[in-house]
Amino acid sequence: MGGGPPTLRPIVVQLTTRGRLPEWLRRPIAGNGVTEQVRDLLTVESLHTVCQSARCPNVSECFGQGTATFMIAGDICTRSCSFCAVPHGAPLPLETDEGARIGAMAQALRLDYVVVTAVARDDLADGGASHFAGVICQIRAVVPHMKVEVLVPDFQGRLQDVETVLAAAPDVFNHNVETIARLQRRVRPAARYERSLHVLSWASERGCVTKSGIMVGLGEQEAEVEAVCKDLRRAGCDLLTIGQYLQPIVRRLPVAEFVTPEQFVRYREMALGLGFVHVAAGPYVRSSYRASEAWRAALAARALASAEGLS
Amino acid sequence: MIRVRVPNIGEGITDATVSFWHVEEGDGVQAGDDMVEMATDKATFNIPAPCTGVVVEVFFEEGESAKIGEVLATIEEEASKRSGL
Repeated sequence: MGGGPPTLRPIVVQLTTRGRLPEWLRRPIAGNGVTEQVRDLLTVESLHTVCQSARCPNVSECFGQGTATFMIAGDICTRSCSFCAVPHGAPLPLETDEGARIGAMAQALRLDYVVVTAVARDDLADGGASHFAGVICQIRAVVPHMKVEVLVPDFQGRLQDVETVLAAAPDVFNHNVETIARLQRRVRPAARYERSLHVLSWASERGCVTKSGIMVGLGEQEAEVEAVCKDLRRAGCDLLTIGQYLQPIVRRLPVAEFVTPEQFVRYREMALGLGFVHVAAGPYVRSSYRASEAWRAALAARALASAEGLS
Repeated sequence: MIRVRVPNIGEGITDATVSFWHVEEGDGVQAGDDMVEMATDKATFNIPAPCTGVVVEVFFEEGESAKIGEVLATIEEEASKRSGL
């Protein structure tokens, strides 16, 4: 697997300044009461979101709709990937009631679908897998039929840790490969492309709906994006997200290019042609953007496949 | 004189860069017209004119950073055409 030998053109990085962004990166001005309610609940329950920690551009839209992506196991990450704004450093102790607090907040917001992610916890023997499992169970102890998508780190490829998470029966198992094969080391130096594919493949073989995502605008080419999509399909991945990389703070990787909306349409059609059940591709698509829509598509596809199997 | 301030453009955003003025001092504007474009690292926003009138003064040049609530420009409002914005 992988993108083949490095026969492609070298990356041409166009310098981007904090000047004018392309028109398709224009957003409406935020503002409604729900945003404040979400922020207040996060403070009351002392919870972190990747929305805030990663400075997500969709935060006003999602908070305004009463949704958020919870980030467990603290807000300090043991890895320092070059695209990410989550602070790197000595991690915090785990909080045993974190899932109960997420459950309480999800109940207050009347959510029926939550996405839970975590900082990488390479300091823990199980990479935080049992904490993930505990959080899923605690959320469902508060709201029994809650759909839970987990967006997990690679657990350094330890499949027993993947099993620990899967045993808690998440509805979607999401793990991002983040970029094309050639740019892995530059973008996520502590991770490995093949290892991530293996983790996804394992979860898929266990029957879980699997999902992955990449950022574009880092200097990749169309053929390399297609190669990632093929690798992900071979790993059994059902759902895909493709979004524009945007530099969260100045000390992170620069944006190589702003991918046009038309190119995102081409990527989406290409990926759907490879057999993904649902593909979200667009400048502001992020890993858990409108996540419940993708899950519903996966559910419908499985129901259809099952019906066809019976007939 | 109506002051055009940097609105609360998004959750967690405290300041933004003035990236493009759609108008100059002396230009007429209609309420709701795009007046100035502001950019953060991850998005761009157009700030609309709050009223119909003539732009009297702009206080930030393109490339300068402004905080939420700061006055970007002033407009001499055209009487009888005040909008609800």
